[in-house]
Amino acid sequence: MLRRLLTLALGLLLLLPSVALAAEESEEFNPEHDFEVGEWIPIHLGPLDLSINKAVAYLILGTIVTIALGLALMRIKVGSKNDPARRQAVGEMVYEIAQTQVAEQGLPTKAIGRWFPYVATLMLFIWVLNMISFIPLPLSNEKFELFGLELPTLALYAATSSISVTLALAFMTFVFTHIEGVRHNGPIKYVKSWIPDVPKAMYPLIVPLEVLGQFMRLVSLSIRLYANMLAGHMLILTFIGLIFVLGNLFIAPLVIGAATLFYLFEVVIVVSIQAFIFAALSAIYIGSAIEPEH
Amino acid sequence: MFNLLAQEAASNVDAGKAIALALGIGLGSLGAGIGIGNIFGSMIQAVARQPELRGELTGIQWLGFALTEAVVFYGLIGGLLAYVLV
Repeated sequence: MLRRLLTLALGLLLLLPSVALAAEESEEFNPEHDFEVGEWIPIHLGPLDLSINKAVAYLILGTIVTIALGLALMRIKVGSKNDPARRQAVGEMVYEIAQTQVAEQGLPTKAIGRWFPYVATLMLFIWVLNMISFIPLPLSNEKFELFGLELPTLALYAATSSISVTLALAFMTFVFTHIEGVRHNGPIKYVKSWIPDVPKAMYPLIVPLEVLGQFMRLVSLSIRLYANMLAGHMLILTFIGLIFVLGNLFIAPLVIGAATLFYLFEVVIVVSIQAFIFAALSAIYIGSAIEPEH
Repeated sequence: MFNLLAQEAASNVDAGKAIALALGIGLGSLGAGIGIGNIFGSMIQAVARQPELRGELTGIQWLGFALTEAVVFYGLIGGLLAYVLV
């Protein structure tokens, strides 16, 4: 436990140079600057901006880590068959959470075979994206010089604290929901299933609300994840930034303690909960489209 | 004179932005605080009455927790929008 805490403190200390440099550059401390993605490799296809920026770099890293994690936990066998290693046990635990807590809560039995891989992947992918966002990595827009080399500073950044990323993930769920709803129920019966049993006179009021509600799902699903990660990072950054805003080093033990506390809260609770919620809600939405009277 | 008035107006706008942000977060946290308290309170009651249901209830509890907690962030996003756009 002590060793873990020491590692955490070291990580937070490593974060300090980037904040310090930012403060020197602009005089004014601005936590928003850490959430600018920049443009590393510009790729422009007409009006489309497909540049590689910080968020894309984190997404690529997250994809690689997710695939590696999945292979390491599920595929690579160690020892003999009767000797399940600890790694395999962890993999089975993740699988069981994805199956019993996520898929079986939301999806009807006939759809689990098709949609379990999707919701399980969502869960693992968002978890990895959230988790690597709390590890200081040398992927940032600011540079510092070390022995004449220009190196990027270590910084915390979450791909999921960019709304484009979470909106894209939520949009996938949105599209799949309606495709599955139409495929299983037919377009007319599916659209009718949105509207609850109310007297016909209420329809002008209810129908627009229910149609709007379908789009509000998209908004709430993406905003929830985005704002959680953004607020978490901003809290940590603002607490450490207080040293530079107030220009007082004696406040450091207090604010670093507070930042560590929030860091622990985010890593232990928020990261996993958000990944779980996103996957569970996706499963519930898709499930409710397949079997509307569920 | 006009310069002074303009300055005062600008600082008023800044103050308004700060109030908007604080109100957004503050009122959001008020509602979410009540809601989260309710969820965990009900969970404690439920487990005290029927301890064998704990496993099933945990998933629902965290779902409710995250749905409620997100309310703070809607307020935060609203406040930030007011702060950045106005």
